[in-house]
Amino acid sequence: MSKNPDDGRLEFLQGTLEMLILRTLQWGPQHGHGIGQAIRAHSDDLLKVETGSLYPALHRLEKRGWLKSGWGVSEAHQRAKYYRLTETGKAQLSRERDRWSQLVDAIGRVMNPAPAREE
Amino acid sequence: MRPDQHDLDEEIRGHLALTIKERIEEGEDPTAARLAALKDFGNITLTRDSMRSIWRPRWLDAAEALGRDIRFALRALLRARGLAATVVVTLALGIGANAAIFSVVRGVLLRPLVNRDEDRLIYIRQSAPGIGAKNLTFSVPEIDDIKSRVKTVGMFGDFSTVDFTMIGLGSEPRMVKAGVVGGSFFDVMGLRPVLGRLLNAHDDGPKAAGAAVLTYRFWTTSLNSDPTVIGRTIRLGPRTATVVGVLERSVPYPADTEIIANVVTSPHHLGATMVTSRVHRMTELFGRLAPGASLEAARAELTSVHAAMMREHLEAYSAKAHTELSVSTLRDQIAAPARTILLLLLAAAAVVFVIACSNVANLILARSVRREGELAVRAALGAGSGALRRTLLAESLVLCGAGAVLGVVLARPFVALVSAYAARFSVRALEVSVDTSVLWVGAGLAMAAAVLLAYVPRLPSPYASAGLGLATGGVRITPGTNRRLRVFATTQIAFSFVLLAGAGMLLATLVSLQTARTGYDMRQVLAFDIPMSLTSLGDAKAIAFYQEATRRISRLPGVEDTAVGSFVPWRDAGSLGPGFQFTVEGYKPADGEENPRGRMRMVAPRFFAVLGVPMLAGRDFTADDRSGSEPVTIVSQSVAQRLFANGDAVNRHLTWTDPVFSIFGKPVPARIVGVVADVDDEHVVPGPALTIYQPAWQVGVAGRLFVHAAGDPYALVPAVTRVIREISADQPVERAATLEDVRAEVLSPERLNAFVFSGFAGIALLIAVVGVAGVLAFSVSARTREFGVRLAVGSAPRHLLARVLSEGLVIAGIGIATGAAGGYALAHVAARFFDHVQLPGIMPVIGAAAVLIGAAAVASLMPAARASRVDVLQALRSE
Repeated sequence: MSKNPDDGRLEFLQGTLEMLILRTLQWGPQHGHGIGQAIRAHSDDLLKVETGSLYPALHRLEKRGWLKSGWGVSEAHQRAKYYRLTETGKAQLSRERDRWSQLVDAIGRVMNPAPAREE
Repeated sequence: MRPDQHDLDEEIRGHLALTIKERIEEGEDPTAARLAALKDFGNITLTRDSMRSIWRPRWLDAAEALGRDIRFALRALLRARGLAATVVVTLALGIGANAAIFSVVRGVLLRPLVNRDEDRLIYIRQSAPGIGAKNLTFSVPEIDDIKSRVKTVGMFGDFSTVDFTMIGLGSEPRMVKAGVVGGSFFDVMGLRPVLGRLLNAHDDGPKAAGAAVLTYRFWTTSLNSDPTVIGRTIRLGPRTATVVGVLERSVPYPADTEIIANVVTSPHHLGATMVTSRVHRMTELFGRLAPGASLEAARAELTSVHAAMMREHLEAYSAKAHTELSVSTLRDQIAAPARTILLLLLAAAAVVFVIACSNVANLILARSVRREGELAVRAALGAGSGALRRTLLAESLVLCGAGAVLGVVLARPFVALVSAYAARFSVRALEVSVDTSVLWVGAGLAMAAAVLLAYVPRLPSPYASAGLGLATGGVRITPGTNRRLRVFATTQIAFSFVLLAGAGMLLATLVSLQTARTGYDMRQVLAFDIPMSLTSLGDAKAIAFYQEATRRISRLPGVEDTAVGSFVPWRDAGSLGPGFQFTVEGYKPADGEENPRGRMRMVAPRFFAVLGVPMLAGRDFTADDRSGSEPVTIVSQSVAQRLFANGDAVNRHLTWTDPVFSIFGKPVPARIVGVVADVDDEHVVPGPALTIYQPAWQVGVAGRLFVHAAGDPYALVPAVTRVIREISADQPVERAATLEDVRAEVLSPERLNAFVFSGFAGIALLIAVVGVAGVLAFSVSARTREFGVRLAVGSAPRHLLARVLSEGLVIAGIGIATGAAGGYALAHVAARFFDHVQLPGIMPVIGAAAVLIGAAAVASLMPAARASRVDVLQALRSE
């Protein structure tokens, strides 16, 4: 992940935002603002989700059937759309988690090759 | 759930509210917090749009892309106006012709009749193919037999046609064609009145009051839809009738009459001949299938009843006549004569469409070769083959759409033309109109053409940049493209050849018909219908009227001679049936043969002189051959030669033996006093005719007047009419025409056939010529360099000219050969489905080939000349 020169935050690798959203919703239903805040908080302010990416991503996930949405009242006493994970969403999350660890593992091996073993 | 605009806005508002609350809680003042929240969010509109676009169905995106492509195509085509116009007009001709023909086919063959439950309505016909009688009609005893025995037909309706002199509607006494019907007719037909009532069971029989119904066409065209005609009394010959109603608009069948009256208006229908004679046939028969009965069951039962009836009355059905019964639904009966011709037209239109499409394909292909550079650039920049196809599809959609619109506009006059033409074969064609089905056909054809055309050009491969003149933008023609262009051009020639040969065949028929010698003086003889009513047949007063008329008209200036007869050649053909049996003194038919049939014609003295028919032996009739004197007759040459040794007929005796005459008692032999040359007044192509002439003054039958004019025959019409009205004010005088024009009128279906097919062939030829010229022009322009090199190494310009010319001729030659083979095969296939499939004679085929070769030569000439004038230096420098 490249460093953003402006604010010291990290940019998202393609496809990881959706995984993070699914992961965040594992703790329970949440609205878009809350999801953004949760990702930020859990990454110790290193990841900031742009609203311009967050909301389209939420809708994309809902269209695929991984999320379901419903209206509720937020802490600001206003109607807000809450998203929750569906069963297929949970399955998808575990698939993405596996893929992610494989990727991290693979990249790690390339970046820090283990000393060649001798047979 | 697909969120709407409001949902999206509210979700964004919720987000902003949370951000603002958070910031206020962190200590910012509300205004600053609000501004910061908005800034934080970024571009709201953009975000909302991208949220919405996620929910949009994919086809909408595709449609939008196609819309963009179509706008692009419009701009591109505006730059190639000439090509676009050619393509649109070519397609419009193809689509218009097809849409028009399809409308007519649908209207005539497929649409149901207005009659109630028209699929239960049947038409029964008695015919006698053995003596060439397509429609023998029925006699009253026959109908009674059928009615009493058949169970599968619930109701029968009868209809016969009678000519009445009608007085009371319109200013002049007129001869009208009337239907005379029984009480069940309108019930069987299932028709309704638009005004008043129709005839019913109370109007049937000899005791009812005279009543008449007007047909819709007569009421609207001759009486201006006047509602006050109901209740008016009209004179029909010697009887009167009250107008009781107006029939709704319906297909006039079997005859296009002006009025339909009940039986009591026609004394003839009440007479003994009509009621008792089994061979006095003049009635058409309709029926309505009994509940539950099928057409097949009715056909089987009617046929067996008819066969039994014939066995019981052998004397009324000559074995040679092969009398038979046919049963069909009325709709099929009405459509039948037009079926073959319409399907043929549909095929011709389809051929024109194929030619048009292949020509357009040619033009599009040539265009795509020219823009191969552009397509290659787009492919190199990442346009997928789908996107490139879409570009091409958009372009062909624009072209074909425009072609379809113009085609549908063209379809309207085409429909008028074709339905006027088809009306010769089926009265239903008159009600055909342009409707939305034309639009559907046009749109369907355009779509088919568009998809076809989009897949004609080959797409450049993004990897094969080497062969494409990206840098020069010049045109290089690949052998594959060239072959395709030639295949399309050949296809056009082949199809044009089939159409041209067909049209040539019809033209040859027409020419042979028109030039056939008839044996009459055609130009100077004017024929009139001066009808006598059925009741005055044999009446001395009627004869005196015709004699007086002849005398006075002969004295008119400009009249050379005048005579009376009973039959206008060709125009009255078929009105007397297939002829009557007769025998002559000393003639014995061979075993199993019957007596010959002859045509009976009544003529007055000087008839032969007036019409220019030579007397070969004996004498003409004279004024002394009158009622009460010795029965005499004149025969045609064929009678004399076939039935008498050495053709020696004069002073021998001839007797009518046909059962039709048995009602008049024992036949009286007549002495043959003369022999005249054969003339065939039934057929436009003359054949030998057994004709027997009887003296009109003796028999008392006339009705036609012939005037031999010195100058312009039609100039005499007013004078002749005036003279006749002076003698009898109520006498109709109608249908004055020279024999030449009578024959032309009879020939008009043939002329129209030739005209319509020549039209199709002409369109096809035009398109094919454009196609060949286009292919060669393109090929020449793409080979400028080759020609330059050839000239540079010493080829003579005329060699290049001959070379291009021969290329055109080779295309034409292959096309003609393919067309001839294909057409021959097609005719054989068609022969299995249609009767009377005819292969054109050798002359039309050679003619069509010559026309095409000539056209191809002319089309090649321009490109060839251009090839021979290539400037060597410029051609070599161009690359």
